[in-house]
Amino acid sequence: MGPERWVILTAIALPFVVAATLPVLARLLDEAVGYVGALVALVSFSLIASQVGREGVVAVPWIPSLNIAFQFQVDGWALLFALLASGIGVLIFTYAARYMHGKSSLGRFFMTLLAFMGSILGVAFAADLIALFLFWELTSVCSFVLIGYYTADEESQKSARMAMIVTVGGGLCLLVAVALLAIAAEMALGTRTFDLAMMLENQGAMRTTLEEHGLFLPVLALLSVAAAAKSAQVPLHFWLPRAMVAPTPVSAFLHSATMVKVGVYALGRLRPIFSGTEWTILLTSLGLFTMTVGAVLAVLATDIKELLAYSTASHLGLMVAALGLQSHYGPEAGAFHLFNHALFKAALFLVAGIVAHETGTRNLDELGGIWRDLPVVAAVTVVTGLSMAGVPPLSGFYSKELLFAGTWKLATHAGGTMWLFPVVATFASIFTVLYSLRFLWLFFGDRPAGLDVEHRPALSLLVPPVVLAVLVAGTSVLPDVAIHAIVQDAAQSTAVEPVEVHAALPLSLSGPVVMSFVALGGGIATFPYVDRIRTAIGTVSRAVRVVHPTAVYRATLDGTGQVSASLGPAVHNGLVRTYVTWLVAAACGLAILGYVATGTGLASPLVLETPLAMSVVLGVSVVAAVAVTTADSHVTGVLTLGILGFMVAIFYIFASGPDLALTQLIVETLLLLIFLLVLEQMPAFYGELQKRVAVRDAALSIFAGATAALSVLIASPPGDDPLTDTARFYVDAAVHEGGGTNVVNVILTDFRAFDTLGESMVVSVAAIAVLVLLAMRTQGETE
Amino acid sequence: MTTRIMRMTARVVVPIVLVLAISLLLQGHNLPGGGFIGGVLTVIAFTLIYVAYDLDYLEVGVLGREVDPAVGIYEHRTVATYRRLFIAGLVVVVASGLGALVFGEPFLSQTFTHLYLPLFGDVELASATIFDIGIYAVVVGGLLTIFSVVGAE
Repeated sequence: MGPERWVILTAIALPFVVAATLPVLARLLDEAVGYVGALVALVSFSLIASQVGREGVVAVPWIPSLNIAFQFQVDGWALLFALLASGIGVLIFTYAARYMHGKSSLGRFFMTLLAFMGSILGVAFAADLIALFLFWELTSVCSFVLIGYYTADEESQKSARMAMIVTVGGGLCLLVAVALLAIAAEMALGTRTFDLAMMLENQGAMRTTLEEHGLFLPVLALLSVAAAAKSAQVPLHFWLPRAMVAPTPVSAFLHSATMVKVGVYALGRLRPIFSGTEWTILLTSLGLFTMTVGAVLAVLATDIKELLAYSTASHLGLMVAALGLQSHYGPEAGAFHLFNHALFKAALFLVAGIVAHETGTRNLDELGGIWRDLPVVAAVTVVTGLSMAGVPPLSGFYSKELLFAGTWKLATHAGGTMWLFPVVATFASIFTVLYSLRFLWLFFGDRPAGLDVEHRPALSLLVPPVVLAVLVAGTSVLPDVAIHAIVQDAAQSTAVEPVEVHAALPLSLSGPVVMSFVALGGGIATFPYVDRIRTAIGTVSRAVRVVHPTAVYRATLDGTGQVSASLGPAVHNGLVRTYVTWLVAAACGLAILGYVATGTGLASPLVLETPLAMSVVLGVSVVAAVAVTTADSHVTGVLTLGILGFMVAIFYIFASGPDLALTQLIVETLLLLIFLLVLEQMPAFYGELQKRVAVRDAALSIFAGATAALSVLIASPPGDDPLTDTARFYVDAAVHEGGGTNVVNVILTDFRAFDTLGESMVVSVAAIAVLVLLAMRTQGETE
Repeated sequence: MTTRIMRMTARVVVPIVLVLAISLLLQGHNLPGGGFIGGVLTVIAFTLIYVAYDLDYLEVGVLGREVDPAVGIYEHRTVATYRRLFIAGLVVVVASGLGALVFGEPFLSQTFTHLYLPLFGDVELASATIFDIGIYAVVVGGLLTIFSVVGAE
C-alpha cells in the first residue's frame, strides 16, 4: 500500500513551520517552549508511525525544468531512521526543557533543534538527490549553530567551526557524487534525473553505466568521504569529541542518535547500487578501523562525554563495517545496530548530562560510587551500558553478534587477509567492554573524597533516559518485537539479497560465539589493569601526535589563513589602475579565448569601397587619438578627446546609424561638461612617467584595441549579405512584433529589455556607490 | 565658468535642450531617440545649469524656495529628489515588466496598440514607452545624483 502524501509531507514540514514561531513563543513560555517541541516531535512520530508497513514515493514539484522535486520515499530503512529521530526527539525535547532551565537564547536553541529534527526527517525520506543534499547540509548547519550555542566561548566557537568545515566539506563531496550520479542516470535511463528511487529501481543499469564510464570508483570514494565526514569515521572523526561542548541534549540527539548516523544512513540507502568487492574492502576496512581507534580512544578519555563521543565513533564504525559486508548479515547487523545504538547511546548521554548536572563535574577521575545517590540513573546505566558493551542477553549483543557472524563468514569463505576482519572486530570489542565498564564505574567504583551529589534529578530529566532504558530492556528480552515492527523491513531495504534478521542467544559453540567470548572475557580480565593500559595508549597517542588529524586540520586551516592574508593585499593594492589593468586584460583575454575555443574563424567580410569623406573622418580621429596621449595640459587633452568623440559620431552618421550618432554626440557633450566641472580639481602634475608602466599601458591599450577590432571583424556579416541572421531577425520582427520602426529602440525596450533593465540597475548601483564612497570617505579605517 | 556669456547661453539653450530631450524620449519607438538618449540629454541641460550657476540655483532661482546652507550635500533637497527619481525609475521599469506577468506573458514582454484620435490621426500606444520612461528616470536620477554630489566636492 502506498503512503499517504499529506501525512509524510506534514511530518516533515511541521517541525520547520513551528520552528519559525519558536523565537516568539520562547519569550512567552521560557524553557517550557521545549514541551512545544516535544509535542511537535510527538505529532511527527505518530504520523510517521501510521505509515509503517507502507512503501512508495510521494512528491511535490520543486524545479520541474531540471527534473528536481521534493520527493520522499517511504520504506523500512527510511521509516526506521525517521521513527528513531522523531521518537528520540520527543524525549530530548522533554529533557531539554528542564535541562536548559535558566539558560539564555532559548528561542534560538529550540528553534534550531526543531529545524534540525525536520531536516533529519527530510534526509530520512528524501528520494531526490538534490533534496537529500539540501537536508543533509541543513543538518550540518543546525549542528553548527547548536555546537556554538555558547557564542561567547572561544572553545565553543572553534568546535562549531571545526564541525562545520569537516561535515560541510564532506557534503561538497556528496554534491559532486550527486552530479556524477545524475549524469550516469542520464546515460543509463535516458533522462537526466536526480530521482533516487528510480536509480534504485534500475540499480543494475546504473551500476553497469557507472562501471563502463569509469565513474564507479570515483563516486564510491566521494560518497565514502561524505559519509565518513558526517559519521565521524577515522580520520575525519576528530570533530565529534570536540562537538561535546554543546549542551548535553544536543550531544544526545545530534551527535549520537541521529545526525552522525546520516552518513551510515546514506551508505545503506545507496548500498544496493554499489555493493560489491570494492565496496566491502573500502567500507568494512574503514568501519573496523574506526571501530578500533574509537574504542581505544574512548578508553583513554577522561571526560564522560568525550568517552561517549569516541564510543559513538566506534559504534558508527561498526555500522559502516556491517553495511560494507556483502552477505545477508551486513544489512541485518547495520539496521539492527543503528536501532540499538540510537536507544542506548542517547540514554547514556542523558545519564552523563544528569551526572554532570548533579555533581558539577564530568571528569571520570573525580566521579565514582554514586549509585546510592542516583539509584534510578544507575539502573538505567547498567542496562544501557551493558548493552553498549555487547553483554548477552542485552540488545547490543544481538546486533554485534550479527557483525561477528558476517566477518566470520567472509573470513571462512575468502580466507587469507580476510581473517583480519574478525580479528580486528574482536580486538575492538575488547576495548568496547573496557570503556563500558569504565563508564559503569561512575556508579560502582570507589567514591572519591569531596564528591557531593547536590540533589535528586527532576522528574523530566529522569523520565527520558528511563523510557530509553525500558526500550533497550524490552528489545533485549523480546528482540523479535522490534525486528518485526521495523528492523526487518529496514534491513531488507538496504539489501539486494533476501534477509532475515534473527536474534537469539546462541545455544551452540561457533566462530562468532567464540569471538564474543574473547571480547567479553578479554575486556573483563583486563579491566583491573585499565590504568596501565591507558598509560600505554597515552604514550602511543602522544608519539603519533604529528600525524593526528587535528594537527593536520590546524595546519591546513592556518596555512589557508596565511595564504589569504598575503594574497589579499597583493590583489587589492588599492590602486585603481591595477584593477583596470586586470579587468581590461582579463576581458580581452577571455574574449580571445572564447573565439579560439569555439573555433570562430574570420569570414571574409564584405569589402565596400570606403567613401573619401569617411576616410577623412577616420583619419582625423586617429590623429586626435594620438594627440590625446601627448597633450601637455588637461584642457588640450579634453578638447582633443572631444575631437575624437565627435569624429566617431560623424562616422556613425556616414554609416547610417542615427541612434548611435545621437548617443555618441550627447555622451560626448556630457563628458566635456563633466570635465568642466572637475577640471579645476584635477592635479596638474602626476609625477615622472616610468618606462615600465608606460610600456605595460601601451601594450594593454594595443591589446584591447586589437580585441575590439577582431570582435568587429568576427561579428560583421559574411559574404555578400549586408545583414547577419541576427540583424535580419531584428529588422524583420521590429515592426510587427515590437510595434516600432526604430529597430535599435525596439531591441532595447522589447527584444532585449532584460539587458536594459540590468543596465539601468548598473546606473543605480553606480549612483549609490558614489554616494556611499563620498559620504563614508571621512570615516573608515584611516580614522 | 560663471561668466555672463555662459549664463546667457545656458538660459537660451537649456529650455530647448529639455524640450528636445522629451521629444526624443517620446518618439524613440519609431524615430531616433529613446529613454537613454533623452535621459542623457536632460542630464546635459541640468549640468549646464550647474556649470553656469550652482546647485542651489534651481531651488532658489527657479522654484523660489529657501535653501538652508547648513544642510550637507547628502541631505540636500535636490539630491534627495534625484535619488528618489532613480528609485522611482527602477520601480517603473520593474513594474512594467511585472505587468506582463498579469497577462500571462513572460517578464518584460511588451505589446502595442493603435488608436485613431481626431486631429492626431493614427497614434500608436506601446507599452515599451512606459519601460522607456522608467529608463529615462533612472538615467536622469542616477547621473544627476552622481554629478551633483561630485560637483559639490
